[in-house]
Amino acid sequence: MMMIAPVGGAKHRLLPSCSIVALLAALALPMQADAAGTRAGSTISNTATASFDAGGGATTIDSNRVDLLVDELLDVTVDSSNPADVPTTPGATGQVLTFSVTNNGNGVEAFALTTIANAGGDDYDPAVTQIYLDNGDGLFDSSTDALYTPGANDPSFDPDESVTVFVLATTPGSAADGNRGIISLAAAAKTGTGDPGDSFAGQGEGGGDAVVGSTGADGQDAGAFLVSAATVTLVKSAVVTNSLSTADPIPGATITYTIVATVAGSGSVNGLAITDDIPADTSYVPGSITLGGSVLSDAADADAGNYNGTRINVALGTVAGGQTRTVTFRTTID
Amino acid sequence: MRTGLFLLLAALMPGPALAANQVALDNHVFVERVSTDAEGKQRILLEEPKVVVPGDRLVFVLNYRNAGAQPADKFVVTNPMPAAVRFADAGDTRPFVSVDGGKQWGLLADLSVPMADGTRRAAQPADVTHIRWAFQTPIPVGGTGKLMFRGVVK
Repeated sequence: MMMIAPVGGAKHRLLPSCSIVALLAALALPMQADAAGTRAGSTISNTATASFDAGGGATTIDSNRVDLLVDELLDVTVDSSNPADVPTTPGATGQVLTFSVTNNGNGVEAFALTTIANAGGDDYDPAVTQIYLDNGDGLFDSSTDALYTPGANDPSFDPDESVTVFVLATTPGSAADGNRGIISLAAAAKTGTGDPGDSFAGQGEGGGDAVVGSTGADGQDAGAFLVSAATVTLVKSAVVTNSLSTADPIPGATITYTIVATVAGSGSVNGLAITDDIPADTSYVPGSITLGGSVLSDAADADAGNYNGTRINVALGTVAGGQTRTVTFRTTID
Repeated sequence: MRTGLFLLLAALMPGPALAANQVALDNHVFVERVSTDAEGKQRILLEEPKVVVPGDRLVFVLNYRNAGAQPADKFVVTNPMPAAVRFADAGDTRPFVSVDGGKQWGLLADLSVPMADGTRRAAQPADVTHIRWAFQTPIPVGGTGKLMFRGVVK
């Protein structure tokens, strides 16, 4: 028994005979390799050659060939495609979270999709209404994307491929400003899931086994909604002035009403309008509406205010949380 | 020219028949399976697999034996990497490798790979296409030995 340590040296640098045999062997080998790994069902063959001279000139021999069948590896990852929490409002329907499901295995595989919205770690549970499979454009459109029905159209795709999945949810009306609601999307290989190394005999692509990979053949990731709500508080006050320079509400006295709208919260209020009926036994003082100290006309025109004979109206539009609007108008006591 | 003719004949002839009574080269492939025992210790087991999955670590073992009546001089063993296996290391056996399909040979540390921009970068284990051991002294009659390298299923 002896071991001769082979040492690289100039003596045997060029050995064309071996190259010929070696290249022939290389050409016969499967040539598939991508990020997800060698395709399931392919064969890895290994043969070595030796050349030597035992006195009769150079001789080349082949070793025995070892063939290994590549089994199907079951691996999947799910990634949330929303870089940040998705804003929502209390009671909103059709709120969309986007996920990407990737087949990290080395064979075609179908995956079952489920959602988990009650795992905790958040402030409320979004109510999942539907799951849609993207048609390839990456944008949610219920008329062109496919509504997912578990067991009926489980997405099946090639190694290294991804599908975009949209999860639609309703935000409960009870959710408050600043609340977070988490939904996880889970994808599980239809062939089976389990601990890494578990195998399903004969169920792999190409006739081999299907072997659970490092992901456990299931994956999940979480996306979150963030409730961005706003509340409006109106405070109305009145000041009476009269010709006697007292605060008595005598006929002919003027009442100046002040309405302060305060918007609170992280969101904003759209289409906010202040409407106030002119009280009985008083008369509106024409041209007396002000917004933020500026006078508005009574006509329904380009400015935000108007008076229609029975009430004043001031359209404030969109007001963000933390802001106030002050509206005043005057009446006289009949 | 004479040498060239000999080499061509050698390549065309069925090797084992010619060399059955001279030098034998025996090829085994094992997979390293890591198991964790009850105490959390990792054990590496070598199994002879029929099937593998991407990511499996393979150990290729080549046993040679000079069964002939003469010492075998200029003994060279060449193993092309299977395309689906990424070379990892060859233990302490210090082989020559090729990173260009067998055209040029050298120690991995001495080889480089052309880049798209015309420059060259140092060769990495993953670039290896062929492995070769060239013995500087003849294998004596009855001499045996073992060569090995590791690879990972792509």
